[in-house]
Amino acid sequence: MWPFFESFLSAEQQRKRALRRVPEGALKEYLSVPFPDKNATISELTLLSVDFETTGLNAMTHQLLSIGSIEIDGGKIKLASSCHNIIKTKGKLEANNVVVHQITDSEKEQGIELKTAVDQLLLALAGKVMLVHYAKIERQFLRQVCFELYGVRPPLMMIDTLLLAKKRLDIGGQHYDPSIFRLESLRQSFQLPSYHAHNALNDAIATSELFLAEINKYKQGVKTKIRQLLCSV
Amino acid sequence: MSNDLSEVHDFIRVIPPFDTLSEEQISRLTRNIYIQYVASNSSLPPEGDQKAVLYFIRKGALAYFGNDNELLSKYGEGDLCSVFLLPDENVKISVVTEEDTLLYCIDREALLEVITESEEAEAFFAQTAAQRLKKRMEKFSDDAVVSSTLMNTQVEHVYHTPAATIDMKLNIQQTAQQMTEQGYSCLVVTRQGEMVGIVTDKDIRTRCVGEGLDPLMPVSDIMSRDVLTLDTNDSAYDALIVMTSRNIHHLPVTSNGRLAGMVTVTDLMNHEGNNAVNISSLVAKANKISELTEISKMLPKLQIRMSKLGTTSDHVGKSISAITMAFTVRLITMAENLLGPAPVPYAWLAAGSQARLEQFAHSDQDNAMIISDKLQPQDAYWYQDLATFVCDGLAACGFIYCPGDIMATNSKWRQTQSVWHKYFHKWVVNPSPQALLNSSVFFDLTTVHGDASLLNEVRDKMLEKTKNNSLFIAHLSRNALAHRPPLGFFRGFVLVENGDNEKVLDLKHNGIAPIVDLARIYALQEGVAAVNTLARLQAVAGTPSLTKSMARSLIDAFEFLGYLRLSHQARLLSAGKKPDNYLPPKTISRLEQEHLKDVFKVIKTLQNNRQVAY
Repeated sequence: MWPFFESFLSAEQQRKRALRRVPEGALKEYLSVPFPDKNATISELTLLSVDFETTGLNAMTHQLLSIGSIEIDGGKIKLASSCHNIIKTKGKLEANNVVVHQITDSEKEQGIELKTAVDQLLLALAGKVMLVHYAKIERQFLRQVCFELYGVRPPLMMIDTLLLAKKRLDIGGQHYDPSIFRLESLRQSFQLPSYHAHNALNDAIATSELFLAEINKYKQGVKTKIRQLLCSV
Repeated sequence: MSNDLSEVHDFIRVIPPFDTLSEEQISRLTRNIYIQYVASNSSLPPEGDQKAVLYFIRKGALAYFGNDNELLSKYGEGDLCSVFLLPDENVKISVVTEEDTLLYCIDREALLEVITESEEAEAFFAQTAAQRLKKRMEKFSDDAVVSSTLMNTQVEHVYHTPAATIDMKLNIQQTAQQMTEQGYSCLVVTRQGEMVGIVTDKDIRTRCVGEGLDPLMPVSDIMSRDVLTLDTNDSAYDALIVMTSRNIHHLPVTSNGRLAGMVTVTDLMNHEGNNAVNISSLVAKANKISELTEISKMLPKLQIRMSKLGTTSDHVGKSISAITMAFTVRLITMAENLLGPAPVPYAWLAAGSQARLEQFAHSDQDNAMIISDKLQPQDAYWYQDLATFVCDGLAACGFIYCPGDIMATNSKWRQTQSVWHKYFHKWVVNPSPQALLNSSVFFDLTTVHGDASLLNEVRDKMLEKTKNNSLFIAHLSRNALAHRPPLGFFRGFVLVENGDNEKVLDLKHNGIAPIVDLARIYALQEGVAAVNTLARLQAVAGTPSLTKSMARSLIDAFEFLGYLRLSHQARLLSAGKKPDNYLPPKTISRLEQEHLKDVFKVIKTLQNNRQVAY
C-alpha cells in the first residue's frame, strides 16, 4: 500500500472514531461528512482557505482573535463565500498584537462568541480540505478549541502553502533564508500584489492566491491530485 | 461588513466606469467576484469559465490578437478585459496572457445587476468606440453650457484692468465722451479715488436722454449707488451667478478692498472672442515691431485662459489663427508703408494649420505669396523685400520660421498665379508620392491679405481636377496612412503597432494629423473648397466619401484630441514651459485613456477604409 493512501486511511479512521465520541453540535456535523478522495483534483474540489489571528503562538495559553475563510471552488476564489468573524475574547489585548492584527478592544467588544465563530467554521469546513499558510497554528488552535468546546480533537485534512513552497525550493537544493517563507515574501516571489490590510480574511484570500500561483508550478496545474499537496498529519 | 473585502473593493472602485458607482454598489459587485490565476501563455477565457465574463487584470498582462495574429492591444494591471462580456461575432479577437496573471472575474449577470443602476456604467459596456466618443463629446457641450469650468476659473483670470473710472464731479456729457474714447460701456464713479457708484451707457440713455435730463448735470445724478463687487479670488462662476440673478452686466472687481478692475458678462460668456478681438485691435494699432512683439506675449496667456474656461479647441484655434492673421496683416501694412505700394496685385497666403484656423500659440509660420501674372521682372524685389520684412516680423513675434522653409521668403513659394496653376497641375495630374508629401500643406491655403481672387481662381481650377481623380486621391491616401494612431496604452506607456512602448503620445502626428489628412482627402475628392477640418468633415458628411455617422465620429475624435492638446498645453504654459504635443499618458485619467483608445479605433477604422478603397 502507498504511504499516502495509508495516511488517508488514518485521517478517515480518525474521523469515524471521533464521530462516535462527539456530542451533538457543529463538530459532529463536521465529522459526519467524509473527507474528499485523495485522488480528486483541485479543479474538482472546494477548498476552504482559513486564517486565524491569535494573541500568541501557543494554543494552550493564547486566544483566538478572529477567523477569516474563503472557498476555492474548482480553482476559483469565490469572494461570495468569504467569511470574517472577530471574536469577543476575554481580557485586554496586548498593544503588540493590536499593531499586528489591527483589531482593537472596541472592535473585539462588537465581536461574536468564540463558539459561534468556531461552529460557523466547522460547518463550512465539513467535507473540505483546509488550506492554510503554516499549518501548525491553525491546526493546534482549532483542535484545542474543539477540545475545549466538545471534548474532541478532530482530524483535519490540510494543504499548507508554506510546505508547498518549502518542497518546491528543497527540490532545487538551494540554500534559503527562512524569512522567504512568510506569506508576503512568497507572494512577492510570484509577483502577486502586496496587500495592505492584514486581517484574517485578507490573509485567507492572500493564501488562496498564493496557492493558485503555487499549483500553477505543477505540471498538471489545477488538475493536480490533492494527494500530492496534502500535508501528512 | 463591506470593508472586509477591502483589497478587492479598493482596487475596482477607481477603475472607470466603476468609479461612478457608490460604495454600496461596489460592495455588491465585489461579493460576486471570483479570483483566478492564469499561467503565462494561456488563452482566455480560462477553461471552465462561462463565456460572458468581465475580467479585471489585478496583476500580469494580456495581449489581444486579431486576424493574421496581428497585435491589437495590450492590457496590464488595472485594465479591463471586456472582450468576453459582449462577444462581437464580427471581430475575432484572441486573448493570451503574456505573464502569469491574476484576474478578478465577474459573470455578466452579476455585473449587469449592479451596472444597470448607473446609466454611465451601463453605457460604458454597451457601446462601441464611436458611440462612447459621441457621448463624451455631448457631455463636453453640456459642460460648456453649464459653465462648470467657470467654477475653476477665478475672476482674476477673466476681468480686464484697470477699471475705467470717472470722478463724480464730472458731468454726463463728459462721461459719455470718455466712454466713447475708451471704448467702455461702463465706468466706475469715484470721489477722491474711492468708488461711490457705477454708470453705464444704458444709464445715460434711460436716466438722462430718456428723461430729458441736462447732460451737463453731474454723473452722480444718474449713477447706481449700491454697487455689488467681486473679489479677485471669487470664481468666474460667482460672477456669472451675481450678474444673471440681478440682471446686471458689469461688476467691479476688488483686490484687498481696492478697485482692481471690471468684469462683464461678455468677459465671461465670450471671453475667448473678446480677448481675440481685443488683442487684434491692439495689433491693428501697433506701429513698431517691438510693440507687436510685446502684444504677442499675450497669446500663450490667452490660450491658457480659454482653455481654463472650457473653450473648445475649435474656438481656440480660430481665435489664435485670427490673431496671427492680424499680426500678419499689420506687418504687411508696415512693409507697404516702407516699400511703397505694390507694383501689381498680389495676395499673402497662409498655409497649413493657420489656413485651417487650427493654430495654437507658438506654432511655426507657413506662408506663401501669389502675384498677378502682370508682374514685371524688375519689380520682383518688392515682393521679396515684403516677404523678408513680414517673415522676420512674425519670427520676432514668436512665430518661428518654418523648418521646411514653406515661407514667402522662399522664391519657390513666392510666385505668379500661372506658376501656382502649374504647381497644382503637376501635383494633381502627375502626382508623385514624395512631391505630394511635401506639398500637402498647400492644399490648405487661405488668403490673409491682398487680392483673394488670385488664390480662388487657382483653387477652383485645382478642385475641378482633384474631384474624383482616383490616382491623385490614391497617392494622397497612401501618404495619409503614414501617420497611424497607436494601439493603446499599456502600463502607463503608449503601445505602438510593433508592440513597442513609447513614453509619450504624439497628439499631433498620431491623432490630429491623421484626421486632418483624412478630411483633406475627402474634401479634395468631393471638390469641397473648405480648409478647416471640422468644416470639411461637415461638408463631406453624407457624400460617397464619408457617411454622416462616420463624419460625426471623426468630428468627436478630433474635438476630443483638441481638448487634450489644449489642456496639455495649458499645463505646460502655466508651468512656464514651451507648449508641445507630447502627452505623457500618466498625466491624463484612466477614463481619458479609455476615450483616447476609442479615438484611435475610429481613426484606424477610417484609415483602413481608405486602404481598402485604394
